[in-house]
Amino acid sequence: MSRKHAIALLWVLLMAGGMWLSATHVAIHSELADLLPEGTTATQRLLLNQARSGLAGRLLLLGLEGGDVDALAEASRELSERLRASGRFTLVENGAQDIRQQRLGIVFESRYLLSPMVGPDAFSRESLRRALENRLDDLRSPLAPLVKTTIPEDPTGEFFAVVSTWSGADRPQTYRGVWFSKDRSKALMLVETKAAGFDADAQAAIQQDVRDIFASLRGRPAQLHLLMTGAGVFAVEAKQTIEREAWRLSTAAAALVLLFLYVSYRSITLVLLSLIPLTAGVMAGMLAVQGWFGFIHGITLGFGITLLGVVDDYPIHLFSHLSSRGSAAAVVQEIWPTMRIGVLTTAIGFAALLFAGFPALTQLGLFAVTGILTAAAVTRWVLPNFVPGWFLPRAITPALPAKFERLGRMKPLMPVAILLACATLFWSHTPLWETELSSISPVSEAKKQLDGQIREELGAPDVRDLLVIEGQTDENVLQYGEAAQVKLQTLRANGAIGGYDLVSNYLPSRRTQQDRQSHLPEPSVLRRNLDQALKGLPFAPDLFAPFVAAVESARTKRPLERKAMQDTALGTRIASLMFEHGGGWTAIVPLRRVADRKQLAQIVADWNMPAVRYVDLKTESNRLMSAYRDRTFLIVVCGLLVISVVLAVGIKSLTELGPILFPIMSALAVVAAVLNLSGESLSLFHIATFLLVIGLGLDYTLFFNRPEGSEEGRSRTLYGLLVCSTTTMLVFGVLAGSSIPVLHAIGMTAAVGSFCCLLFAGIMARKELYASA
Amino acid sequence: MTAAAGVFFAAMALDASAAAWTVETLVELIKEQREASVAFEESTYSSLLTEPVKARGFLSFVPPERLEKVITAPSQERYIVDGDRVTFESERKGVNRTVSLEDYPALRSFVEAFRSSLTGDIVQLRKTYEVTMEGSRAKWTLLLRPREVSGKSVVDYILLTGSGGRIATIAIRSPDGDRSVMTLLPGPPR
Repeated sequence: MSRKHAIALLWVLLMAGGMWLSATHVAIHSELADLLPEGTTATQRLLLNQARSGLAGRLLLLGLEGGDVDALAEASRELSERLRASGRFTLVENGAQDIRQQRLGIVFESRYLLSPMVGPDAFSRESLRRALENRLDDLRSPLAPLVKTTIPEDPTGEFFAVVSTWSGADRPQTYRGVWFSKDRSKALMLVETKAAGFDADAQAAIQQDVRDIFASLRGRPAQLHLLMTGAGVFAVEAKQTIEREAWRLSTAAAALVLLFLYVSYRSITLVLLSLIPLTAGVMAGMLAVQGWFGFIHGITLGFGITLLGVVDDYPIHLFSHLSSRGSAAAVVQEIWPTMRIGVLTTAIGFAALLFAGFPALTQLGLFAVTGILTAAAVTRWVLPNFVPGWFLPRAITPALPAKFERLGRMKPLMPVAILLACATLFWSHTPLWETELSSISPVSEAKKQLDGQIREELGAPDVRDLLVIEGQTDENVLQYGEAAQVKLQTLRANGAIGGYDLVSNYLPSRRTQQDRQSHLPEPSVLRRNLDQALKGLPFAPDLFAPFVAAVESARTKRPLERKAMQDTALGTRIASLMFEHGGGWTAIVPLRRVADRKQLAQIVADWNMPAVRYVDLKTESNRLMSAYRDRTFLIVVCGLLVISVVLAVGIKSLTELGPILFPIMSALAVVAAVLNLSGESLSLFHIATFLLVIGLGLDYTLFFNRPEGSEEGRSRTLYGLLVCSTTTMLVFGVLAGSSIPVLHAIGMTAAVGSFCCLLFAGIMARKELYASA
Repeated sequence: MTAAAGVFFAAMALDASAAAWTVETLVELIKEQREASVAFEESTYSSLLTEPVKARGFLSFVPPERLEKVITAPSQERYIVDGDRVTFESERKGVNRTVSLEDYPALRSFVEAFRSSLTGDIVQLRKTYEVTMEGSRAKWTLLLRPREVSGKSVVDYILLTGSGGRIATIAIRSPDGDRSVMTLLPGPPR
């Protein structure tokens, strides 16, 4: 067996092993959450963590529409009951089961510790007398049947005082007891899933359940239909889009590249040979990402396949230089120095992404670096062994160099193009930078609008303003919360905020509970006050013995703990407002209808409570995006510097650097302008792709300026370059058509960039004079 | 011929007035003769109390859906049922709250009794209650027993007495034996 055969055999074995590994060990994830960064500050980490698993993510908003109000109300009632029975939800609210109306046993038992009315004077003779007279009014009222049962145990009405402090937010209007939109076209419902919002698989199952239950409602008129929205719905849609597109894009891109290769060279052999480095590159990239991250994201995969359009340059360079004069091995050896610089610089560009701190980019970077290095190495050392001796690509028309030389006449246009690009960027109305975190999400605009509408109608707007309260223990946080509550009440009273939802409302601190206990009188005192208060009132004798007993038991019982509330609707509410985070405890206080954010930030700062911070989520998420974008920008600049150094060393010249880099930098400026003109603001994904464009551009410029020594050789090189750049534009064009913003951004930038680089490199290419011509 | 016709019509009229004294007629009559506003006195008997508590005020009804009970003594309270919404205001307790009738199914059947008797909606009345009428046009009693469980939980029965289209008393008895008796006073409210 010759060395050639040995390498081929070894190669086949390696590929088979790699395929087996890919098939059995590679886990593909498509959740958007896997791509979100960690956050650069403590606040960002907290918020991202909340977005992943917090309450906001677990809320699903439902709307029923398409029928008359009574049918909708009926459907809403039945659906809510069935959903409650399904056990998948911690909370199902449709207006009929307001948390304030649930007779919560533990709250009733603990009413003397929970009620804000319990103070020094709460059980004096005068207070009791007032309370008893009110209870007589209750008995006279038409509501007597509803309230009279609690009178003997709770004559002072503490239970009612407790539940009436609970914020029900701004709930929608009801009709027949069920929430409706203002025009009564939709019955509304709010459910909270047990599964986290970003757990797309669990969410998909839950949402399917909801749809099935809705479809099976008894007596449901056929025209009724169900609307569903919320973070969980978005997560599922994002996942489905990513899954669908990853495959669609890869198939389309791969098919296009292969088809184009065939059309260009009219040779099945060439296409098959090209597949050797291409498959190797993609497989290596996949395995590397899997090995490092433990999973490969659908977006990475979708992007990874388009890497085909980049790494196919390497075999094409080989084939386009193949002539009857030398073997494949000899040719590859000859072009390797040029190719090597191109490969190294492109790889360095992508390697920079490894430091982006944004999982999406890190995966792409790792995939690309591994893929590029592998494909290049395979082209250099493996591919020649497979090229049959008789194989020769078809002859190329020698008119090509002349045509390209005409490009050179366009040189004066370059400064004009650059000036125009700069002017566009300077005066454009489209913001230069994308700052919305949500711009990463592939959820359609229509879905976002529906979400906004139902949220508005439900009075459950996206939380934008928060107070964040931090402390060592939950007790600390609760105490800080109580201190803040006083201030918040003032803010609400003077209209600075419309409302707030504070954990201390549901669970007083131990200190406060103990303070209330100290105000509870001893039985003898209470009985004496009660007897005096009862004078002349027609209450039955001994009616209030349960009251005296309840006060006595409250006086001596242990304060109510958070844990005792677990597994109740109230416990869920508490857990969503206060949780352990980063070694301490954190409470978040959603604020409604903030009048003036700047002013509020100042007011909260003036409170002088270091544990309490005001956070505007929008600003914070913008800050997050900007932070990562700046970091990416820095990385691109560093990448460019390293590339320049490598390039200078590679071509052993500093003066040559300028002419090579100039067309590329011009291309970048024009790309940025074109993107901006098409209405796109630059996100970190556009910026990151600049590295790819730089890599591609270098490859083109290097080969454009490579002395070939003969007109025929130059023809081949140029033809190869045309094929390379066209495949690149094709695959990235496919990517640009993606509805996933990350892929669209990369595709757009790379496709336009590739074209500009080719054009500018062609314009700026030096003429080659042939001795033989 | 004329005589025969006269006898025939007389017989028809007699027959009509005799056959007409049904729940339907009564409810129709109540609707015709109802006043926009009527004063009442109410006594509530409860196991919590050693003697009944009394209240005075007036009831008013604005068709088709607004029902108002205003208590003027001993303290000021107002209960307004308008469509699906129940508002109660109490001066002494400083309360002004609106809830949905659906949130209190018990209250709903209760309100339904008044609303459907006052609007002559016998179909709705029969849907919510078993209706039994006794007595004559001059002195009748109308017994309403809730059909639904939610209604039964707070109301054992509602007993109305009256004469012609005028309601004299409304007694409501709850399953635990507590009851209230409301006497409607003819004439304009004071």
